[in-house]
Amino acid sequence: MTAPAAKAASGRVQMRGIVKRHGAFTALHGVDLDIEPGEFFALLGPSGSGKTTTLRILAGLEPPNEGRVMLDGEDVTAREPGERDVAMVFQSYALYPHMTVFDNIAFPLRMIATPRDEVERAVRDAAARVHIDHLLARRPGQLSGGQQQRVALARAIVRKPRLFLLDEPLSNLDAKLRLETRVELRKLQRALGVTTVYVTHDQEEAMTIADRVAVFMEGRIVQAGPPRDIFARPASAVVAGFIGSPPMNLLPAELRNGVLHVAGAELRPERALGRDGAVTIGVRPAALRIAATGLPARVYLVEDLGDTTIVDLDVAGQVIKLRTDQRPNVREGDQVHVAMPADALHVFERDSGARREL
Amino acid sequence: MAAKRLRTFILIGVAVVLLAVWSFPVLWALLTSFKTERDVLDYPPTIIFEPTLRNYRDVLFGSASILPNLLSSTIVAGVSTVLTLLFAVPAAYALARLEFPGRRASGFYVLATQMLPPVGLIIPYYLALQKVGGLDTYWGLIVIYLTFSLPFAIWLLVSYFEDIPREMEEAALLDRAGRVRALWHVILPQVRGGIAVTTIFVFLNAWNEFLFAVVLGGNRVRPVTVAMFNFISVEQTLWAKLAAGAMLAMAPVILLGLIAQRHIVKGLTVGAVKGGGRTG
Repeated sequence: MTAPAAKAASGRVQMRGIVKRHGAFTALHGVDLDIEPGEFFALLGPSGSGKTTTLRILAGLEPPNEGRVMLDGEDVTAREPGERDVAMVFQSYALYPHMTVFDNIAFPLRMIATPRDEVERAVRDAAARVHIDHLLARRPGQLSGGQQQRVALARAIVRKPRLFLLDEPLSNLDAKLRLETRVELRKLQRALGVTTVYVTHDQEEAMTIADRVAVFMEGRIVQAGPPRDIFARPASAVVAGFIGSPPMNLLPAELRNGVLHVAGAELRPERALGRDGAVTIGVRPAALRIAATGLPARVYLVEDLGDTTIVDLDVAGQVIKLRTDQRPNVREGDQVHVAMPADALHVFERDSGARREL
Repeated sequence: MAAKRLRTFILIGVAVVLLAVWSFPVLWALLTSFKTERDVLDYPPTIIFEPTLRNYRDVLFGSASILPNLLSSTIVAGVSTVLTLLFAVPAAYALARLEFPGRRASGFYVLATQMLPPVGLIIPYYLALQKVGGLDTYWGLIVIYLTFSLPFAIWLLVSYFEDIPREMEEAALLDRAGRVRALWHVILPQVRGGIAVTTIFVFLNAWNEFLFAVVLGGNRVRPVTVAMFNFISVEQTLWAKLAAGAMLAMAPVILLGLIAQRHIVKGLTVGAVKGGGRTG
């Protein structure tokens, strides 16, 4: 992925060795993060993986127990949230219910004694950018969820901060609106060129919207990079099982003398898969094909999505998914064979889960 | 359908009975306040009589005028209410929000003071005030009132502050408000209802208070509750004047209640209805 069109001069984020403990529980075990100016960066992970905590530490809402946070090369670890020049959109939006939409958006400007006419201009401009300029006189309680979300966005962009922090901003919207807003958000960020850190548990959202993604698991970043790289070369079996829709199929296997023993069958891949031992093999659903030879499987379920079909296959007691654009000529209960092209195979160490580079 | 109507009917019936039970003494006192002292003692009581305003004139401008006592009550109740709110609002905010050592223990202490019977405290309070020369002074009585109004107000306000999502002030902090302005511009406007309810309860408690006032007050500081007590003497009880005085003493209370009715109802149901109107 290339850098976004509008390149910002500031907004570089560096986090070094961030550790966060809540009592006996360690939420973050030494997180390192580098975000370039103008980048749209997603923090992706299941709930409880530490992504929101990382965002809150970046915002200054929580102090880390160890480590440093730097913005544009300056150590801001001890700075108050208001002194960091960052704006945040909360998952709940956190709009001020007693103020009108106009006053909500104007609030961050008024807090630094901005001249009245300048406030007026900036609020109208921000509201127009997110298409809520007709709602300025209303109160948050009179707005729909989607409109409230836009007010929260306007309140963030009105002050042109060096960093946007978005905490699951789309999770309270319905599916259709979420897809629309996702595109708009991306366009808005490109137009403004402000570095954006985006927290989400939805891997599809992260993969489509972000320049780069950091995948969080149990308080650690397990992989960071452009979405395409993470998709193409997941660093571990856990990441592989989290990314993609549906995610990668993972099967326990054994390598002996170059022969892959998996689910009671023997595969002889055309390429070397490395030294012998217990491994986990991974293969994307789209790389699987129903063929004359391969792993014996029983068709468990056929999910017809219209343009694509997902076939759930029972392979020696484990369900794997196959995705195809063609309508497969199979029915539930059929005995079939699944071909796994060797070049589509990912190999992970069984014990550590680490990717085996081939 | 029929069952529902029956239910409504019964509920209205219960409401009417309760209202009658509660309003009867008040209405009786209101009637009494317009009677002459002779009419009051008529048996069976007369409902139709020639109303007179003499009692009110006497009580307000006569030799036993309660005007100074109304003033006394206003000072004691007003000042203790203002001081209570001044301390209770930040204290409640701190209890609801900030993490500090002993937070839980302090919350328990606040409640524990509510459980002590006031009679048990009167003698220590009397002795303490006597030592520091606080008997029959405004500041003395006000300080004593604070000892029970403050915990009560804090306890009441904490629930209001706790109802406000933490993200409110986090958003305000990120919007560069700082803690004090976040409290002032974002949090306090949202607990306005709670502050109104607390103000009223604290004021009413102080206004209606009798026990401490009669023991710790005196000639200089004599709230209206104590003054009215003096209409009952060994030789005679001036029922009509007592009733007129009670009506006058009640007036500000009822007025306050009417003004803040909306807030009180809302305040008593706090927690039942969460504000915000947020979707998702």
